[in-house]
Amino acid sequence: MWTIYKREMSSYFRSPVAYCIIGFFMVLVGMFFWVRNLIYGSIYFSDVLSNLVTYMTFFAPLITMRLLADEKKNGTEVLLRTAPIPMRKIVVGKYFAGLTLFLIMVGITFIYPVILTFLIDGGIPAGKNVSGYVAFILLGACYLAISLFVSSFTENQVVAAVSGVVVLLIFYFMQSIGGTLGGTFGAVLQWLSPLKRYSDFAMGGFNLASLFYYVSFTFVGVFLTVMNVERKRWN
Amino acid sequence: MIEITNLTKRYGQIKALNDVSFNVKKGEILGFLGPNGAGKSTTMNILTGYIPYTEGSVKVGGFEIMENPEAVKKQIGYLPELPPLYQDMTVLEYLNFICDLKSVPHRARKAQLDDILYMVKIGDIRKRLVRNLSKGYKQRVGVAQALVGNPPILILDEPTVGLDPSQIIEIRKLISALRHDHTIILSTHILSEVTAVCSSVVVINHGKIAASGSVSDFSATEGTVRKFTIHVVGDKSSVQKVISQTPGVRKTDFIRMDKDASVFMVESGHDVDVRRPLFNELSHNSMAILELRPMGRTLEEIFIDIVNKDKNSADQ
Repeated sequence: MWTIYKREMSSYFRSPVAYCIIGFFMVLVGMFFWVRNLIYGSIYFSDVLSNLVTYMTFFAPLITMRLLADEKKNGTEVLLRTAPIPMRKIVVGKYFAGLTLFLIMVGITFIYPVILTFLIDGGIPAGKNVSGYVAFILLGACYLAISLFVSSFTENQVVAAVSGVVVLLIFYFMQSIGGTLGGTFGAVLQWLSPLKRYSDFAMGGFNLASLFYYVSFTFVGVFLTVMNVERKRWN
Repeated sequence: MIEITNLTKRYGQIKALNDVSFNVKKGEILGFLGPNGAGKSTTMNILTGYIPYTEGSVKVGGFEIMENPEAVKKQIGYLPELPPLYQDMTVLEYLNFICDLKSVPHRARKAQLDDILYMVKIGDIRKRLVRNLSKGYKQRVGVAQALVGNPPILILDEPTVGLDPSQIIEIRKLISALRHDHTIILSTHILSEVTAVCSSVVVINHGKIAASGSVSDFSATEGTVRKFTIHVVGDKSSVQKVISQTPGVRKTDFIRMDKDASVFMVESGHDVDVRRPLFNELSHNSMAILELRPMGRTLEEIFIDIVNKDKNSADQ
């Protein structure tokens, strides 16, 4: 598993992919920081993170698009499938590489709350900022799992990215669709919506059910990816 | 070592492999021969656990591939049709990655990689990016990859495709050198490759085994001698007259004079052995036979015969 992880990490940083994603992300973060914290004077960096959630719809598929698709296109899929390693370890290794890239992106943003503490007398409230980060990371992990699963259906990176965005957009609108529909179905949609939980969580309301929800959502996403990749073995 | 029994692979309605069975013994080099699209790669992909089969069974070193895929995969080094290389790595990084993948212990790694680099002759390009290598070098890195972990079985899918003649000879030499401690299956559509390195042959066509046996079985003449060269003392016209009058001889071609002997190529009808009557006729005319050499059919001819026979029976 770590073999694959190491390879994927080095592969991210050998191509312009990681730099582009990180760079683009930092531009957005800087912009929102400027607007939310500097212009409007919010003391919560978590406000910026809430803005970024929308853009995770695009970032998650960009991070995962090449993980599986590239192997198929390169012809190196044969190598992995004929190696004495079960596919689940390969998929999990790749997922963790994507997750690490995401965590690096999040890690760089730590600089902004630090800047805020210097700007504001008495510092910034820790609780909401920390829970904002936790929620953001959990949501990101969950999005990555979904887009990895979607990407496991294609050997084309662009198709993987676009279909990932489409699926995440469906999740994005789930809350409002659920609200419009109403009734039991609407309630189920709202309950399933990753965003609804995000806002609860990020408001500072730490919630064990939501934590469990994100972790299991991520787990199911990765599990389904493994199943989909292994399917080829059996039919 | 490898037992393939009644192997069938279906893609929807199409049968890519139909009831294929053959065995490979330890230390054997099996040439897997067939025209393009005959099912060679499919068989190899199944054997290495890349794709599943529909029916039958594949056992490698006693393990059934569907039941115990990892135990099987550990024993096999595989070079697919396109070498599975990561373009963004250097040769050494790539081979180290393969070591990780096949869990070669760290202590043994350096010595093993040095051996492989030397054997495959890619030592001087170890620091270069795979992306920048020529086709021949990429192919060799592919072979090197299959050798990592020292698997007892090597499966090579068209290892010499796209190489120049001197590279082909080198790869063949390498394969011959590996025969001592490996069982090798080698697919190809180049017949001379089989005669050059293999000990036995399986010919596959339209997903079925068309023929199999040892290389010597294949190139040996079948029962009667149909074609041979003969050196007979005497001048061209008188010798030719005697030979062509012998019953059973269908064709007599003069080749050259060899000192006082004329050399002819003689062909007989399908089921006739003309050597005895020919001897009698020539000795009757006091013409001494200095040499008579049967011409075995080349593998090329046999192969085309088999493939055509298949086609005819399919047409009927």
